[in-house]
Formats: sequence, C-alpha cells, structure tokens
Amino acid sequence: MIYGAKLTISYLLGTDIAGRRIAVFPDDTFIVSYPRSGNTWVRFLVANLLHPTKTVSFANIEKFVPDCEAKSSRYLRKVPRPRIIKSHEYFDHRYPKVLYIVRDPRDVVLSYYDFERKYRHIDDAYPLPKYVSDFVAGRLSSRGWGTWGENAGSWISSRMRQDTFLLLRYEDMKEDASGAVQKIAKLFNIQAEEERIKMVLERSSAQRMRQLEERESEQWVSTRGKRADIPFIRSAVTGGWRSKLSANSIAEIEDAWGPLMKSLDYELVSHRAKTNASHRGSEYQLVTTRG
Amino acid sequence: MFKRVIAGMQYLFGLYAPGRDLSVFPDDVFIVSYPKSGNTWTRFLTGNLLCPDRAIDFSNINQIIPDPEALTCRQLDVMSRPRVIKSHQYFDPRYPRIIYIVRDPRDVAVSQYHFHRKRRLVTDGSSVDHFVTRFVAGQTSPYASWGDNVASWLITRNGRPDFLLLRYEDMLENTVRELARVASFLHIQATAEHLANAAGKSSAAEMRRLEKSQSHLWSSTRDTRQDVPFVREARSGGWQTQLPTSALKKIEAAWSGIMKYLGYELSSPEACEGVASGLLEGTLNEALR
Repeated sequence: MIYGAKLTISYLLGTDIAGRRIAVFPDDTFIVSYPRSGNTWVRFLVANLLHPTKTVSFANIEKFVPDCEAKSSRYLRKVPRPRIIKSHEYFDHRYPKVLYIVRDPRDVVLSYYDFERKYRHIDDAYPLPKYVSDFVAGRLSSRGWGTWGENAGSWISSRMRQDTFLLLRYEDMKEDASGAVQKIAKLFNIQAEEERIKMVLERSSAQRMRQLEERESEQWVSTRGKRADIPFIRSAVTGGWRSKLSANSIAEIEDAWGPLMKSLDYELVSHRAKTNASHRGSEYQLVTTRG
Repeated sequence: MFKRVIAGMQYLFGLYAPGRDLSVFPDDVFIVSYPKSGNTWTRFLTGNLLCPDRAIDFSNINQIIPDPEALTCRQLDVMSRPRVIKSHQYFDPRYPRIIYIVRDPRDVAVSQYHFHRKRRLVTDGSSVDHFVTRFVAGQTSPYASWGDNVASWLITRNGRPDFLLLRYEDMLENTVRELARVASFLHIQATAEHLANAAGKSSAAEMRRLEKSQSHLWSSTRDTRQDVPFVREARSGGWQTQLPTSALKKIEAAWSGIMKYLGYELSSPEACEGVASGLLEGTLNEALR
C-alpha cells in the first residue's frame, strides 16, 4: 500500500521513471539494444552526428539522447521533438523508428558481469560461471528486459524487413565504424561527408569516452554513486570471451541461443551447441513439427 | 491533471483493468493469441476441460479463464491459483507458461473486419482492401500487427517445454486431438470421453447458442451490434472467397516467411519470390549487408 501510494504520487507528479510506460510520439527514434552492447557508444555517435557544433559528454548526453529508463515521464515529454531516445526494452510495437544494436552474447555477459559489480548488485567474489547462469536465465538486473535472446529475437524477428529498422552488429561497428555511421546518417536522412564522419568518430572514440568518464562520472545518471574502480567504458573489444569464459559457460550460452546466434553470424564453438543448432536450425526455417 | 488524479486513485486501489501491466505469478498459464484467432474457443475448451462439472458460458468464462482487459487488478490478484489467463499481448518475458494459438492471417483479417463492423469501427461495405492495408501495418489492433505478435512469441519461446503452439486449423480438423495436447500441457489426466465432452460443450453451434442469449453479459459483446455475431463461421479458408487479390498480396508479401514457417500455403508464391522463408534466416544476412 505504501509502495502503491509512493508510485501513485510520483505518477501524479510525472516524476516516475518512464521505462515501458513512455508516451511515444510518431516522430520518435529509439536507440535500442540489450544492456552492454554498445548503446552508449551509439548515443555518442548519434549526438555528435546531429550536433556537430556542440561538445557531447556524459554531462549532457541525456539532453541529446535521453534514457527512458533513467528519466521521468515529465522530463521526456518536454524533450524537443523529434526526440531520439535510448532504450533497453524488448520489442515494443509503438516505437516508430528503431536503431537496434546487437552484440555477441558471450561478450555481453562479460561486460554485464563487470557492470553488475560496478552497481554493487554482486560482489567481486561472485563466481563468473554462476553469473553466466543468471544471465542465461534472465535473473538479476536484466530481468525486466528479457534475456539476451528474447530481447534481440523479439526485435529482429518482428521488424527485420522494415525500412524503419536499422540493425547494427557491434562487431561490424568495431570493424568498420565509418560505415556504421553512414548507415546511421541514412536513417536520420543526413548527408554526412567524410570530414564530418571522421570528426564524429574521433569525438566518440573509446579513448575519449574513457577520458570523459573519468572527469564526469558523478555528473551522469548511469555512473553517479557507483563504484569508481570499475569503469563504465570497458575494453571496447570483441572476442574477449574466447579467453575469459570457461568451456562450460560458452556451451551454456550457445545451448540457449544457438540458432539465433548462428543467424547473426556469431560462430558457435561448443560441440554440443553446434550439433544442436544444425539439428534445431530448422526451428526458424521449416514448418514446425507439431505434436 | 484531474484525469491523472482519477487515474492515480484507480491505480492506488487497483480498480483498473491491468492489461499488459498484469502482475504475473510464477504458476500462471496464459492462453495467448492474436485477436480473432480462436482464443475464445480455446478458453471454452480449456474451461470445460478444467471444470467438467460446470458448463462454461459467456457469463462465467471470466471467472474460470480471466481476461486482464476485462477484470480489475484487485479481482485478478485474489483469484484462486494456479490461474489460467487469456491474453492477446505480443511477447512478454514474464509469462511463465504459454498456450499460443496461431491462425492463418488471411482468415484473421477477414474475421477482424467483421469484428470491427460489429464494434462499429468500420461501416458495412467499406473497403476490405483498405482495411487489410491497415491490418498489415498493425493499425487495426492495439496488440501490434499479426506478424509482430506471432514472430515475437515464436522466436523467443517456440520449441521450449513451457510453450505449446496450436494452429487454429489443426484444432478445427481434429479438436479432440489438439485438446489432448492442451490437457497434457496443463497436467490434466483426461479420458477420451472427458475430452469429447469438453469439445462438445465448446462447439461452434453451442457457443452461437450461448451468444444469442448472453451477449449482454460478456464484456466483448456488450454494447456492440447484435446483428453481427461474435462467434462467426468458425472455419478456415474463408479468405479464398472474401479477400480481393490485392489484399492477399499485401498480407503474403508482408509475412511470407512466418506463413511458410507455420505451413500456410501462399496463394501467389511468385509475389514473394526472393523472400526467404522462416523467422530469420536469409532475411537477416540481407539486412546485415
């Protein structure tokens, strides 16, 4: 009841965190991804692309690309339109235009493990294999966003072929960042010449974002009051799982989402998952075997 | 502000229909489908299976298999558990166990057109083709488009032991066989006689009969046109005579992959050439390029 009253009052005042309740406008664009998949990087890329005369940093990123899971309904209503909003939600049919970033779940889990420690959800002694099981089952802070497979699968399967949906793989972005920015520019109908893209990439580089984080971590809603000894901007590399995850953990992830990972071009390495995926590959392709 | 105060008070006391915001319990089972896909029939079948000593009708269905769009939070919270709940929502990660009914989208479009006539959302004789354009864009329902709804569930849950996929067409073809699958999913020991009884009590003829006398007692038919029935033909393939070719092409072009995946034969495969079948394969590589 007390909890209900508190919610009611914050709802009345519009100070409740928007989240899935956000009022969506038809000219909104959403930058969506599962947590720890490069969303903040893309927010910086987009903000720097759209506002070449401003200095984008953690102190003002919420102005350019507000986070619907950190900002109130009232704040979001007042953001000048057309809005560009960051979100980690699984499929929401109301989002009119979506830029979805997907990243290899084996790397996501490593990044998420550090993030949960930074947020003091788990302590340093929490075993990584145990966390991998939490991650696969959708426990801990990821609960409201579905599992990695549910989040990515629900967006990709429903929106894939529409021109209001842009799918970016984090790994492709690392390999060809300017190509990715060009795709983003196209989604926003911006003519971006080489010079501008180069500037956008420099201003959003991992190195620069790390410098900004050091200076401004107390000014950003996502890092304020969190452990300062674990950075938010981590290594920004791909394939870290190959040396850091145990064979069992890798198999656990691949067992859970093998076919989806395969479709996204994430090579499966565990023997069990490989056999399963080729066996279950039909899951997305053929008529279901019923009964 | 005044509206917000009223909404706030309703919220505080749980006096609103929660819909998607329903509090989910770990032992809940959901009967989910896109609208007009046989959900009410499945509710009757399941209800009659769960309560063999009672006849399910439109006045008690919400007590047996509640609809979170029709009951309030308060009513839903105090129902006896485990609950079996009706839903039209697209993917919700909180639903623990799901019976998902899917129906040929071409028949769904026809059925929804008539349902919209019943609810006075379209007029008699208005363009079916125009309706289908809106149907494909997901503008005729608050539960996303047919493809969004179906794909979001199939990709996340199909093949898992906590997900039972039923095709409306299979249910028509052999109701008892499909109901036996529901029974085993719900861990109900049901004899052949028990199943046949439940199927009989939920037949289209019986449901039509009940609708005639009870349409004013049920939230989905109250205050709608009484000359257009809720329980319609209850058959498959009506689209072949009722949908213009232009409308057919729109549906098949939008969802050919999912339709093929579900075994719904396309009427104009040439219109969908180059479009891969399946929920993901093919289309994905193309989009990533």
